[in-house]
Amino acid sequence: MLSVIADKVRRGERLTFDDGIALFLEPDLLAVGALANEVRVQRHGDKTYFNRNLRVEITNVCVAECLFCSFAKLEAHMPGAHTMSLEEAWHELEARMDDPPTEIHVVNGLHPTLPFSFYEDLLRGFKHIKPDVHLKCFTAVEIHFFAQHFGMTYEEVLVRLRKAGLDSLPGGGGEIFDEDVRSRISAGKATGAEYLEVHRVAHRLGMFTNATMLYGHIETFAHRVDHLLRLRTLQDETKGLQAFIPLAFHPDGNGMKNLPAPTATDDLRTIAVSRLLLDNVDHIKAYWVSLTPDVAQIALRFGADDLDGTVVHETIYKTAGSRSPGALGDGELVRLIREAGCTPIERDTLYNVVREYPRAEVPEAAMKVKDRKRAAKLAIVQDARDAKEMNS
Amino acid sequence: MNRGVGGLAEAANADRLRVFGVAYLNARPLWESLAEAPAADRVALSLAPPSELARALSEGEADVGLLPVGGAAAIGDLELVDGIAIGARGKVRSVAIVAARPIHELTSVALDLSSRTSVVLGRLLLARRKITPSFFGAPPREAIAQVKDRTGALIIGDAALEIEQRFPYRLDLAEDWLEWTGLPFVFAAWFARPGTLTAEYVEILREAKRIGLCRRDAIAKSHAECTNLPEASLCDYLAHSIRYDLGDDERRGLLRFWSEAASARLLPKCSPTVRAVTVPDDIGSQPRPSLDALLVRAADGERLSLAEGTRLLREGSLFELGLAADAVRRRKHPHGVVTYIIDRNVNYTNVCTTSCRFCAFYRPVGHSEGYVLSREVLGQKLQEVVDAGGVQILLQGGLNPELPIDWYEDLFRWIKKEYGLGLHALSPEEILHIARLENLSVPTVLERLRAAGLDSVPGGGAEILVDRVRKKIAKAKCTSAEWLSVMRAAHRLGLRSTATMMFGTVDTAEDRALHLMKIRDLQDETGGFTAFFCWDFQFENGVHIAPGEHGTHLYLRTQAFARLMLDNIDHVGASWVTQGPGVGQVALRFGADDYGSVMFEESVVSSAGTVFGINADKIESRIHEAGFRCARRNVHYDWLTEAL
Repeated sequence: MLSVIADKVRRGERLTFDDGIALFLEPDLLAVGALANEVRVQRHGDKTYFNRNLRVEITNVCVAECLFCSFAKLEAHMPGAHTMSLEEAWHELEARMDDPPTEIHVVNGLHPTLPFSFYEDLLRGFKHIKPDVHLKCFTAVEIHFFAQHFGMTYEEVLVRLRKAGLDSLPGGGGEIFDEDVRSRISAGKATGAEYLEVHRVAHRLGMFTNATMLYGHIETFAHRVDHLLRLRTLQDETKGLQAFIPLAFHPDGNGMKNLPAPTATDDLRTIAVSRLLLDNVDHIKAYWVSLTPDVAQIALRFGADDLDGTVVHETIYKTAGSRSPGALGDGELVRLIREAGCTPIERDTLYNVVREYPRAEVPEAAMKVKDRKRAAKLAIVQDARDAKEMNS
Repeated sequence: MNRGVGGLAEAANADRLRVFGVAYLNARPLWESLAEAPAADRVALSLAPPSELARALSEGEADVGLLPVGGAAAIGDLELVDGIAIGARGKVRSVAIVAARPIHELTSVALDLSSRTSVVLGRLLLARRKITPSFFGAPPREAIAQVKDRTGALIIGDAALEIEQRFPYRLDLAEDWLEWTGLPFVFAAWFARPGTLTAEYVEILREAKRIGLCRRDAIAKSHAECTNLPEASLCDYLAHSIRYDLGDDERRGLLRFWSEAASARLLPKCSPTVRAVTVPDDIGSQPRPSLDALLVRAADGERLSLAEGTRLLREGSLFELGLAADAVRRRKHPHGVVTYIIDRNVNYTNVCTTSCRFCAFYRPVGHSEGYVLSREVLGQKLQEVVDAGGVQILLQGGLNPELPIDWYEDLFRWIKKEYGLGLHALSPEEILHIARLENLSVPTVLERLRAAGLDSVPGGGAEILVDRVRKKIAKAKCTSAEWLSVMRAAHRLGLRSTATMMFGTVDTAEDRALHLMKIRDLQDETGGFTAFFCWDFQFENGVHIAPGEHGTHLYLRTQAFARLMLDNIDHVGASWVTQGPGVGQVALRFGADDYGSVMFEESVVSSAGTVFGINADKIESRIHEAGFRCARRNVHYDWLTEAL
């Protein structure tokens, strides 16, 4: 079976729904990974991307009810609920201006009382501090919420935010598109069709976006394949998706805490199948925050070509039990990439090359002592190792 | 028969060729005059037994050695000096299988394991006759004493000459080889590390041979004086039985032997880079094999030489090594079951005298944080193991000079009596420490501990079994030969053990390949290793050594490579304790068939920054998700449950 699929991939033929299912069921994980790696190498050689980004989560107050979420607090007065002031949000960037990020990634809860101008001011303020910073803010779910809440069309919302400085949309909120699954795991937010429509409108306006899939909870392989194929259809139409990011479900402290988290072999297989099915999306991202840096590093040979960024201040996965460190230094990302025998490339949000690092001489020699002398870097490794603790 | 010329070795300096000879009678004509002027000005001569000689060549301490051809195949990447060898065309007299009954009636054969080449030749010749006795190792005198009824013995060297007439049935191996192949047999020749030989050195070795051949009678005389062998017999032996030439016929015989041994999977297929220095068109004219060919051979379970292994580890990609290792795993364990064990790692003391630079666990004697666990604390820990369904404990500790052997014996007896747990206890370093402390031999210590309840010996402290590396990272620790000798002694007593490798400090790919080869060699000899585990050096602050090459990719590639190299060890375990449960799970697709243990604590690794705890349910679900069934095991890798 796999050899038939491999032939199709090598001929450049499009894979079907059934092929996708077969890839998920194939016992030989390495063979699936090796095939995905072929595609990855064909597209990107051994180039592996990352960026220096700053993650800002303005508020965790959210009107949506998602069983998989440990981050959101339903109302502003609940314990742990927190909303930053504009000044606090801007300060996050100001504090990092000695080594400024190239991208700010804002994701929020669906806050019932903040005015639309708050979001516009937020964007303007960031651009005021650093005019060339790329603002990748608000998931399709938030855009949908703004449209409903403030009585605008998606296009009106996006045009206004763009005027205030918005550059692109992150991929969050994809979850699983299948209507049945989606209605069982989340309520009060954009449907799959609405999520895709927001992206469609953004692409039409000339914006690029990313897309995600939250896997490893109650969905089946068929739901995953369906999700990937709906994205592929959208991409055929708009060409606006830059990267696809499979996100592993983490069960701690949320409404599905009785479910086990997906394991590393599932993570790697999902990355590989995504690479093989999404033949029209350039980049597959191994989001180290969700996978742990070690598994993300293996994923670079299972079809992924991007490690995301340095991600300072991530809390959504943290609260769901991810033991990954809060941030990785760019030196650490470079090391992870080199150890996998790849060439590290710092990119901006639109995949323009900011800096190309030399590849290590030989894959295994990637981490020579001289690269590791700085104590700060070592401390980060230490955090990452500590983070692997999985007491149960 | 070994005679040290240690002073010469110490006097070796950089501009002299470092030549290793062996002290066997038949080798003396080739090296004796090297110790004299004028050769001695250009050559630093040392004498060593063949195994030590092989080690010195592979670790770069020797440039040229009079190496048995079996050892040369195992190393792989060597140059062969043309024109000189120790061989025979027809009866050699000193290598023979002897028996009280016709050879084809033998059901077991005692072997002197010190001569791998003769052992391989003997097995080939018996196999050719469709005789498949069981083999067991024994020193020469003991082997001779075993000969009766259906038990024979393979005897070499002086012992073989002494008993030439004693047994009614005798198979002279070189004679039988000639009958089979029509070719002479080459036992040993001068092998050099690539690039060390010049025309001048080759000429020095040839001149030494010319001088030596003229002295054969004198050599026979002196050897007769220190043995009971008749001088005339020895003169005849050196003059007629042994042939010192290496010409076309001998080279053909040599290639035939290497190829037969490789087909029988007794030796690595001899790498064609072995070449005759002055005859480049014969051996060695073949092109370097492709990496793919090497991987296919490895996946098929063929034995790899040191040079081939090093190349695979350097050049093989994650998937290439992984898929080949997965194929080997599937062939060795076709049932698709991954095992795990419920046990606990107990570190009975952290007081230690070695102060290894990679260890953050030890405390020196008298340190305020030093401890020895009391029976009370131990008892509590052990009860928890029993309550959790555990079947063994892994008991290890520092080298504490205040604990005599009685302390261990009492402890073991108490654990066995009160808790009935399997004792996987005391790594070779600790055994050696107790032997030194008590002034007892290692076998005695092991025997006493076994009597007190020791079940198996953990393979910790192997680090990298290359002394150059060990000196840098663990100066006070035992040498690689000592580590191996403890394991050898344990296996001879019938104890099983595991083998380990910690890489990622100052070691190179070649060091890692060599480490695995040493384990493979010992396993050939004893068959005592149950499983192999490896991990990369776990860095933490306070450890006085910088990390070298390491990381997840290297871990997976190295584990896969170990599965390919260790063709004679049944099990390879994933080290999730150091790598994390996720990487440990992925490692099951890189050659591992065991997921290690549900552990409660591991002070040594966890004090170096890695702390994982995971329960049996999670281990089982990870094994299932990786596509395997799972079974609980004991320390002998017997299944304790049905595979689920």
